[in-house]
Amino acid sequence: MSSTQQADLLLKKQLRELNRKGTEGFSAGLIDDEDLFKWEVTIFGPPDTFYEGGFFRAELHFPKEYPQKPPKMKFTSDIWHPNVHKNGDVCISILHEPGEDKFGYETASERWLPIHTVESILISVISMITDPNDESPANVDAAKEWRDDYNGVFKKHVQRCVRLSQENL
Amino acid sequence: MADEDNLIKVVAKTTNTKETIEIEPNATIGQFKAKVSPKFNDTPVAQLCLIFAGKILKDEETLEHYGIKDGLTVHLVIKSANRAQQQAAEHATRQPPSSGTSTTPPASNPPRPSSNTPTPPPMFGGLPPGMGMGDMQQMQQQLMNNPEMMQQMFENPLIQNMMSNPELIQQMIMSNPQMQQLVERSPEISHILNNPDLMRQTLEMARNPAVMQEMMRNQDRALSNLESLPGGFNALRRMYTDIQEPMMNAATEQFQNAQSNPFSALLGGTAANGAANSNTPPQPGIENTSPLPNPWQPSSGGTAPTRPVIPTPPTTSSTGSTTAGSTTTSSAGSSPLASMFQTPGMQSVMDQMTQNPELMQNMMSSPYVQNMMSQMAQNPELMGSILRGSPLFAGNPELQQQMTAQMPMLMQQMQDPRFQQMMNNPRAMQAMMQVQQGMQNLQSEVPGFFAGSGPTPPTTTPSTTPSTTPSSNNPATPPTTTTPSSAGGTNTTPATADPMMSALMSQFLTSSMGQTTAPETRFRAQLEQLTAMGFSDRERNLQALIATGGDVNAAVERLLSG
Repeated sequence: MSSTQQADLLLKKQLRELNRKGTEGFSAGLIDDEDLFKWEVTIFGPPDTFYEGGFFRAELHFPKEYPQKPPKMKFTSDIWHPNVHKNGDVCISILHEPGEDKFGYETASERWLPIHTVESILISVISMITDPNDESPANVDAAKEWRDDYNGVFKKHVQRCVRLSQENL
Repeated sequence: MADEDNLIKVVAKTTNTKETIEIEPNATIGQFKAKVSPKFNDTPVAQLCLIFAGKILKDEETLEHYGIKDGLTVHLVIKSANRAQQQAAEHATRQPPSSGTSTTPPASNPPRPSSNTPTPPPMFGGLPPGMGMGDMQQMQQQLMNNPEMMQQMFENPLIQNMMSNPELIQQMIMSNPQMQQLVERSPEISHILNNPDLMRQTLEMARNPAVMQEMMRNQDRALSNLESLPGGFNALRRMYTDIQEPMMNAATEQFQNAQSNPFSALLGGTAANGAANSNTPPQPGIENTSPLPNPWQPSSGGTAPTRPVIPTPPTTSSTGSTTAGSTTTSSAGSSPLASMFQTPGMQSVMDQMTQNPELMQNMMSSPYVQNMMSQMAQNPELMGSILRGSPLFAGNPELQQQMTAQMPMLMQQMQDPRFQQMMNNPRAMQAMMQVQQGMQNLQSEVPGFFAGSGPTPPTTTPSTTPSTTPSSNNPATPPTTTTPSSAGGTNTTPATADPMMSALMSQFLTSSMGQTTAPETRFRAQLEQLTAMGFSDRERNLQALIATGGDVNAAVERLLSG
């Protein structure tokens, strides 16, 4: 069995399961029904956070080597978050390739493992949204605001992107 | 094809609830939404947003197209009302034959040419009575006619401060119990109020008179266009009964409950005036064209210049004024202004004012307030009614009498340029506050000290609550103003032009807030909240609450920043 076939099978299975049982806090599917490697997701702003009420859209791009290598995740909606680059790239340890720890922050167990699925990735991302990790900020400005003026500028910026996300529905 | 057997079950799921919907597999998303709506409190279809497999589902596509099959789950998101309504309105203009799925919301929503701005009139029409601001519509009209004044008003830091704080405004609105009921009954309104962004947008718009004027014009035109359409008038009437009337009722209900309310007197005045002028008592169904009364006018008045005529909506206003008319006599004694000062919103403004002399100065220098002051000064009766209405004097007829006797003098003093200068000088105001506080201390320490200088000292004992703001009554001070010479003798600070007067004024400011209770009591709930949030320093909490007028959020920010 080639690695591509394995990826195909795994992703197909995940898609079926996600559709069948329904998911909590996000909705995921394929951008194009023919391409199992490109997913689109809508993450609902977690309750009791400033992100509540927002609908943040993102794309997951799986490599052919999946599950040996992690997918890349990129928000297509604006989201103001310490761990999301301004261009939308998500910076989360479980999506970092194993052994590639260039910053020396993460242990192997925090990085990509082949057991991760779309669902486990998204659960981690939702958890990250709720509880940012300010040790390795991707958006330095957001991280600074998050630390210094959580209820002020940070809140304002987040609420702005929540509003935008609603308008773009 | 659409046999009963062929129906599929699709689960629509929000963050809290799940509902199963049976539907034909080839149904469109629009049809599906129509079936979803009744299961979620009849949420208007335009507010529903369905998401499946990461995609937002489009109304015109079918379930099949998205691969939604039996047993699958679709995410349901309920959008906030206002934006959805706008979309519905836009939608309606694009496709005139409505699909039958959109039901009520457009009816209560007048078509707006400028569709990306919210409608201010219902808000402005409803909001002010709730705030106890009296006749905002009239004020609005005046402002419209005088953009300069409007601009000045909005440039005033006090107003800007208020305006930039949607929470404060929301709090003002929600402090009216009837308004609360109304909001409970019509979720659409609550969406407006609970959407801080929308509020802010509206307020920002209000700050720009040109935009505002344009909006009003558009609205008027839209309404008149609508009226000329067949059936349009009914839609208008529905709108009024759905929105305006409940708001109006909310307002008048409150006024009837609390007799000291400006509006009951105002409306009563209208009814009476209308009857006197035209011999036709207002009846339901007959347009009420009598001018809205002047809130600064004394209840017995009639000398004030006539204001621009504002035709009010036929059905609502006339019922409003007739019901209110029945309470005319009973409410005649109460003062519109005084009750205005008693509203919680005003109280917090007042609180802020006393904390911040600069704000006070700004307010005093605003032309609107100056206008009001001079009107007050020229009108002893109004002052009298304020005094009678003020809780400070309510239980004390003697004091009232004294005050009334001093009224002409007081008026003179108010017109005195020196006094106005003082009002414009923050340091003078501050000094005034200090004098007031000092007098109070003196009074509580040596109660007999003032007894000789004034006629019959009032029977009320000075409050000795350990309050940090000069909130308690100082009964012995006013009497001394009857004899300015003796006042000069007893007072230790003759440098101030009118020490007694200033004491009186600051008393006004503080006591008219109706807060004779200590801040600990007033802010008890907020204090508990702060403690629960982990702010353990009670003294600091209290200070923050006093400084923010009891706004917990603002207090938290203050505590964190300090």
